[in-house]
Amino acid sequence: MSALATRAAQVGSPPRTPGRMPATVEAIAFAAGFAFLACLPLLVGGSYGRHVLIMAFLYAVIASNWDLSLGYGGIFNFAHLALFGIGVYAYALLTKLVGIEPWTALVLSGFIATAAAVLVTVPILRLKGIFIILVTFGFAQLVMQVILSQSELTGGTQGIVRIPGLTLGDHSMIRDNKFAYFYLALGLLALSTAALRIIVRSRLGAAIVALRDNEDYAVARGLSVARLRLFTMASSAFFTGAAGAFYAAYQRNASIDVFGMSLSTVILSMVLLGGTGTIYGAILASFLLTLFSEAMADFGAWRPMIVAVLIVGVMLAYPAGLAGLVKAAAGHAGRLVRST
Amino acid sequence: MALLEIEDVGKSFGSLKAVDGVTLSVEKGRIQGIAGPNGSGKSTLFNLVTGIPFGPDRGRVRIDGVPIERLSAHEIAGAGIARTFQRETSFDGLTVFENALVGATFGGRIRASAMAREAAAEALQLAGFAPAGFGRLAGELSVFERKCLMLATACAMRPKLLLLDEPASGLTRPEIEASIGLVRSIAASGVTIVLIEHVLTFLMNLSDHLVILSGGRVLASGSPREVIADPAVVEVYLGTRRSAA
Repeated sequence: MSALATRAAQVGSPPRTPGRMPATVEAIAFAAGFAFLACLPLLVGGSYGRHVLIMAFLYAVIASNWDLSLGYGGIFNFAHLALFGIGVYAYALLTKLVGIEPWTALVLSGFIATAAAVLVTVPILRLKGIFIILVTFGFAQLVMQVILSQSELTGGTQGIVRIPGLTLGDHSMIRDNKFAYFYLALGLLALSTAALRIIVRSRLGAAIVALRDNEDYAVARGLSVARLRLFTMASSAFFTGAAGAFYAAYQRNASIDVFGMSLSTVILSMVLLGGTGTIYGAILASFLLTLFSEAMADFGAWRPMIVAVLIVGVMLAYPAGLAGLVKAAAGHAGRLVRST
Repeated sequence: MALLEIEDVGKSFGSLKAVDGVTLSVEKGRIQGIAGPNGSGKSTLFNLVTGIPFGPDRGRVRIDGVPIERLSAHEIAGAGIARTFQRETSFDGLTVFENALVGATFGGRIRASAMAREAAAEALQLAGFAPAGFGRLAGELSVFERKCLMLATACAMRPKLLLLDEPASGLTRPEIEASIGLVRSIAASGVTIVLIEHVLTFLMNLSDHLVILSGGRVLASGSPREVIADPAVVEVYLGTRRSAA
């Protein structure tokens, strides 16, 4: 059907988000999805199983927030994992050195990562493409070097150990077989995902995509490049930093490894495998890659190679990633239902 | 009363003077045409007024008496100047409705969601989009539909002044006819329009006033019939008759 018609009379009031899933339907699916995840400890036994899921939730938070700046915003931000690392070290230093209460430190770490995102966005306001990669990558290296050079505070290459963990009243977080951390990580993912989806469904979310699609045209429609880029980067940083703080509290140590290329590559492959510009795709890919990687544990050195081949295979068959695959499958199922 | 005043505006790229001291004004409620050979500075003049992608090296630009040449491009849009581009352009990852909603919210500075949605729907229907097509992705539209959508996003801004850069280029004859009707109905809603066009039927049909640019300067200005009869304009477009030796 053509979108153009000769001044057709409007029949009834149009839907609030034409062409998109209605907000109430998405909210119900969202609640059902997280209710299922909350029941997972019934299916996956043992504290190791819960540990794998906690890591999958944290990866999902980092990857889906990266999808906001990279997928929706089209900003080649290679400092995203540095924001996670800043969260790790901010929490470690705030709790150990300053003596701030863990939960307050976790929230503060989110804000510190947000401030760092604003700082790295200023030099890239007028830049495009490869130059943004260069500056953000340089920023990540700079943060790592600062942490290494301040070894009296940060422990340098040794890192920081015995970081205070999170607390829940009198509940013992260490002897509960990771139940509390499982539900806290799930809660963090739920909050982060809800915030991201609210942003991308809003008019600001549409503006972020508009700026990605055509900068001159977006400016001609009244969008401020500077304000919108700052907003995109800052809002992708808060939960990334909070995830870093959570990771530090959970592992109880901070290491410079979080700034390494290997973690960046893993998370980036989650964003791309999931399909950019969907949020849910990155989350799905984080779950699948983490679980698949665990299942392949017996394959030793073959494991990363198998995972890499799998990623290449999916990307070749479905360039839009897992989100594209799910969409195609849903379309196929719809046609099948209609034909019967 | 003049809505847009351009005074001695200039822009150079190295030794090339793309726009060289242009002065013109656009009366409120008028459809003013701008024509001229390729490279005469028409699109550059639009760029200088809107600041996209650059503002003027010299001169003054005023809208409703307020100087805008020092404002950033998105502020100029917010001041009530909407423009379209020569090539059909859209936000491909957004739906038809979201394209217009961006214009209403940010260009039109309509904060309240319900009012912005109303402005977007109104502009889309004015441009001929039926509500049933609001959910289509802009990236899936035809060239003509994208041109109409670009106009709709401009109208959603509820601008004082609309600058149209070759709205008829690349269109078939029936599409050109439809576009003429569309521009007329936009003008009837009270928007002042400046129109760059090569398609003469478009210009002659719509313009109340015509300006011809050549070599970055104003060559002629007046009613369309007077201007195209001007010998200087004929010379620029057709060249001089070679005199018999």
